[in-house]
Amino acid sequence: MSVAATPIVRKRIGARPWLVGGLLVLLLFLLIFPALMLGSPVLSLGQLNEILFLNGGEKVPHLIVTELRMPRLLLGLIAGAALGLAGVLLQDSLRNPLAGPELLGVSSGASAVVAAITVFRLPFAFGLTPWLALVGGLMSGMVVILAMRRITNGARLALVGSAITALLNAVVISIISLGSPNDVAVLYLFLLGSLAGRTWDYVNLVWPWLVVCIPLALLCARSLNLLQLGDDMAEGLGLKVLRMRFLIALLSAGLVASVVAVCGPISYIALLAPHLARRILGTSDARQVLPVAALLGSALLVMADLLARLALSPVEMPVGVWTTLVGGPVLLVLLRRQMRSAKQ
Amino acid sequence: MSLSTGVAPEKPFAEKIPANPLARRFLPLLVACLLAIVVLLILYIGLGTVSLSPGEVIAALVNQPVETFHRQIVWDLRFPRGLVAILVGAMLGLAGAILQTITRNPLASPDLTGVSAGAVLASVLGIAFIPPLAAGGPALPFVALAGGVVVGATVYFLSRQGRSDPLRLALNGILLGAILNSGSSIVLIFDQERAANIVLWLIGSLNGRVWSHFNTLWPWALVGIPLALGCAGLANTLNLGDDVATGLGQNVERARAGLFFIAVLLASSAVAIVGAIGFIGLIGPHISRRLVGDDARRLLPMSAVVTALLLLLSDFIVQAITKGSLPVGAITALLGAPFFLYLIFRRVKA
Repeated sequence: MSVAATPIVRKRIGARPWLVGGLLVLLLFLLIFPALMLGSPVLSLGQLNEILFLNGGEKVPHLIVTELRMPRLLLGLIAGAALGLAGVLLQDSLRNPLAGPELLGVSSGASAVVAAITVFRLPFAFGLTPWLALVGGLMSGMVVILAMRRITNGARLALVGSAITALLNAVVISIISLGSPNDVAVLYLFLLGSLAGRTWDYVNLVWPWLVVCIPLALLCARSLNLLQLGDDMAEGLGLKVLRMRFLIALLSAGLVASVVAVCGPISYIALLAPHLARRILGTSDARQVLPVAALLGSALLVMADLLARLALSPVEMPVGVWTTLVGGPVLLVLLRRQMRSAKQ
Repeated sequence: MSLSTGVAPEKPFAEKIPANPLARRFLPLLVACLLAIVVLLILYIGLGTVSLSPGEVIAALVNQPVETFHRQIVWDLRFPRGLVAILVGAMLGLAGAILQTITRNPLASPDLTGVSAGAVLASVLGIAFIPPLAAGGPALPFVALAGGVVVGATVYFLSRQGRSDPLRLALNGILLGAILNSGSSIVLIFDQERAANIVLWLIGSLNGRVWSHFNTLWPWALVGIPLALGCAGLANTLNLGDDVATGLGQNVERARAGLFFIAVLLASSAVAIVGAIGFIGLIGPHISRRLVGDDARRLLPMSAVVTALLLLLSDFIVQAITKGSLPVGAITALLGAPFFLYLIFRRVKA
């Protein structure tokens, strides 16, 4: 075994990732209870048991749990996982710790398309929305990805992305003001990202995408590890760097677009989850980071959504507001650290 | 040393510096822009559900309206809105020009330093939680100023180590802006009655701006604009770099803090009236720099005039194409973001 040449790729995985993964799964399991029980009305454990397993209970709480809270929880779980994975894919393949769908313009491109479809009531089938969102996300992401060839500085790339985001947000706002002015719900959805009122229809729309994309993302681990070594090294180890990078960008755009199509651009989960995962694991080995980032993304999004529902109840906040409030400062700290280490 | 060097042919001590073509252009350009503003304002007032010809507008402005209701349309609605646009544009442009000069950073502007977002958050908090401010009114710019100063100073200090890297200031400002905008969203959503206005605050709009807004704004412009123009020499010194400026006997930190405060004052008071209109404070100064060069004594007045023209033009587009349903900030972002991209890419080539 050529251990020296490919230290990360061949290294055995220790007990730590399994422990971390197990704890996160436990956390997700525990989050199910507040997600299904809290809100209005607050249910007891007994009532929940009756509703879920005996198919009984009073009619209204039963409906609330099965038709509102369950799909919302499920959507939070899978959307969070998709965002966490997309973050790892983008950061590792671009070798840029600031890369994320919101800083590459992918989210806002997708949300501009979805906003146009919704607000102008364009006659596209409901199931087609993620495809169109994907096209929008890819087009705006492509500008940034093309810019990558000339731009190596991570901060500059992020600035290009945020300029495109600003542009597309202006497009979204124009669409909303032209189509349905003062429609606050539409606004939440396409500018801030929200999980409110997502029923099974939405879950059904998004799960086929994620069932395809999430395993594919997990399969990219080895390539990501090679890409981390730098383009020349990866090419030398037999990876078609450009083609792989393009495929990975496409895959992450697919993950993000399907989420944006139903939840709007939920910011910073995709940035936060991979960094936290690397920090907890103490490694950047993609084989470990990918699954842990997916679990962390789910946990973060479900917790943020709980906060969004309950913190200022009865008023409900869009979940994107909370993820920005938490994720933004973390990104500032990261940026500061990156600049400092670049100086040394 | 031989004597011959001593008697070397003397050069005239102060050879007359050939007049800078940019300097010669300054006055005609300034006058041309001012004229353009006046012409555009007249056309602008003519736009709307009842469209008026330029002749009718002028007649109404000099109080000899063709129809009596023209006077109301012109004087009570469209003229004050146009004046607010001009004043806000001038203030934002001036603030952008000052920020760019003192930080020696081409990407500095009120919105990209987070100052606008801070002013919006403060205004929104004030409106929601301080009852006397709920209706707006003349105290609001003070609150906005406090927010703008706090955020501007934060971004400035966060970015201090990396003064060599202009991108860092912009990225810090954008991130902090995103965080603050989330804060504003929370306040606005919590205050459901005003929730529909979230967008108008975050992106900036001139809809429904009348004399009461103008009356709140003009004292700030009256203080801020002359103060800024008067400090142009100081800004020039800072633009030479810290070492040279110190060598010229300038207390660099104090001068920069003073100018920074003036810029924040101009931007915050404008934002308190119309919301965070973006990108205009970035583009205006850049165009002016192309026209009249780097000298702040020419750059500052030119930026004020050019940016006022730009904002009036943007609102003209709003009125002409979308019949006023679009917030003007959307137009400035649509026009300004590509320009911002161009600036980032141009620096790559350099």
